[in-house]
Amino acid sequence: MGDLILQIRKLTNFFGMVCTAKELDLDIEAGVLTSIIGPNGAGKSTLINLITGNLPVQSGSILFKGREISRLPIHQRVRLGICRSFQIVNIFPELTVLENLLIPTLALSGRTRRFFAKIEGEDRARDQVKNLLEKVGLAGVKDTPANVLSHGDQRLLEVGVALAVEPSLLFLDEPTAGMNPVERVKVLENIRQLSREGQTTFVLVEHDMDIVFSLSERVVVLHRGDILGDGTPEEIKNNVQVREVYLGDSV
Amino acid sequence: MKLKSWQMALVVLSLLALVGVGLFSGRFMIYLAMRVMILAIFALGYNLLLGQTGLLSFGHGAFYAAGAYGLGFFGLHLSSHPLLGLLAAVVLAAVLALIIGFFCVRHTEIYFAMLTLAFGMMVFSLLWSAREVTGGDDGLVGIMRDPVSFFGLLEIPIGKDRQYYFLVLAVFVLSAWAVQRIRLSPLGLALSGIRENANRAEFAGLSVKNYRLAVFVISGAFAGLAGGLETLLESNARPFMAHWGHSAEPILVSLLGGLQTFAGPLAGSVIFIAMREMVQRFTENWMLWFGIVLLVIIMGFRGGVVGVFQRLIGQAGGGR
Repeated sequence: MGDLILQIRKLTNFFGMVCTAKELDLDIEAGVLTSIIGPNGAGKSTLINLITGNLPVQSGSILFKGREISRLPIHQRVRLGICRSFQIVNIFPELTVLENLLIPTLALSGRTRRFFAKIEGEDRARDQVKNLLEKVGLAGVKDTPANVLSHGDQRLLEVGVALAVEPSLLFLDEPTAGMNPVERVKVLENIRQLSREGQTTFVLVEHDMDIVFSLSERVVVLHRGDILGDGTPEEIKNNVQVREVYLGDSV
Repeated sequence: MKLKSWQMALVVLSLLALVGVGLFSGRFMIYLAMRVMILAIFALGYNLLLGQTGLLSFGHGAFYAAGAYGLGFFGLHLSSHPLLGLLAAVVLAAVLALIIGFFCVRHTEIYFAMLTLAFGMMVFSLLWSAREVTGGDDGLVGIMRDPVSFFGLLEIPIGKDRQYYFLVLAVFVLSAWAVQRIRLSPLGLALSGIRENANRAEFAGLSVKNYRLAVFVISGAFAGLAGGLETLLESNARPFMAHWGHSAEPILVSLLGGLQTFAGPLAGSVIFIAMREMVQRFTENWMLWFGIVLLVIIMGFRGGVVGVFQRLIGQAGGGR
């Protein structure tokens, strides 16, 4: 078993009176492809927002590789190695695919501070982006503005931009939402492959149970801001509580 | 992005035309050309903030005035070397932009715009009321154009308008080149990203606040440079340079010419100054006529004059 890359302790969050995280304790192991599932309003998105910095942490602590990060701004967490993709496509719409990927790549090496250099001369970043384009399968459309890509390609780019900062922990919020079956298989195969390579630990939030159970090594079930079940896909399938609350009897 | 041959030709022709104006035109034309170039420096720098980063500031008149008064004080009390004076103008404007920007970049959109407006008007009131220091509504007067001296070895006189014209032209060309380099640099790309999607930019590892502050200071420095040049031209610095009416000029000019192009603020400056001169001969209410033209352009020609031109010759606008 790998090291703990993320340790969450007593994480609590309220939206007014609504509790979306109730003294949550959760560890993520490096290299273990983990899925977070749960009914709507279970607190899945809130959890990701708290960990990545979209929401301020009200109480509790988050340790990333042993370091407290719950008060850091987003971009510093990204530089430490935590990134995410979004459920809704969230890219730079009027920039080309290439430029979309260049921004995080250049930012990672601090080269976006260079105000008098030519972008054509950034060879290292360009090579990295080229690899990334091959990896996510967008090499053919690299000079296309992102907002005219097909929805599936925009989703791919969304994941690509998140991968470009070379995160060691990557949250994917419904990465296959709105994709056709062909694209879906491509993305999932990509995730499986990248997860095996071991540089990035993936955490998925998914609604599609087929994907969750076929891809994950560990499944965490959230319900009303609390952890209802946690274990291998087999264990979760057979967990009585989870079946009552969430899966129904269909599985 | 490589310049296409017609763009190269346009650049060379414009430069030749500007040199030609300096050599052969009458005094009035030379004066107008200087006003165009000074406004263009102001607008080019400003457009890094508005067109590139997507931040609307109503307070850049304050930095223009900081440059003007900076050069004025420096010239009256320390040294009347014009280049040192311009350096002082840029430094003072940049420092002021750093202080004001520090408070403004925490906010976006309407809050950012209103904060810059408030700070700008504070600077205006300060210049207006601190009569002992700033000369109040008279401003600073009697600022001389001494020769540009290079360590006493070489002295270039700029006392006559025709001579000064070439200093303005040189500063203008350098500024335009610098702005274009910034636009096409990695920083420029990061700024475009912040304009397109600030949240994603943050998740790309960019400290959005710091980048906004950086471009705020850069654009403030260009405003200060323009202010310094105008003070040398008119031999005075006036509090109305900091007024929000003046802060609006680079916005109007950028809208007129086209927000997301390099040439937009240049074309806008030419049209702005030319229109003002022509319309003012017939009526005092030149802003009325200017407003109508602006309305037509904003409602009918998105992307300004340059945007329309680019579409006409079949070149897609491009996001940058």
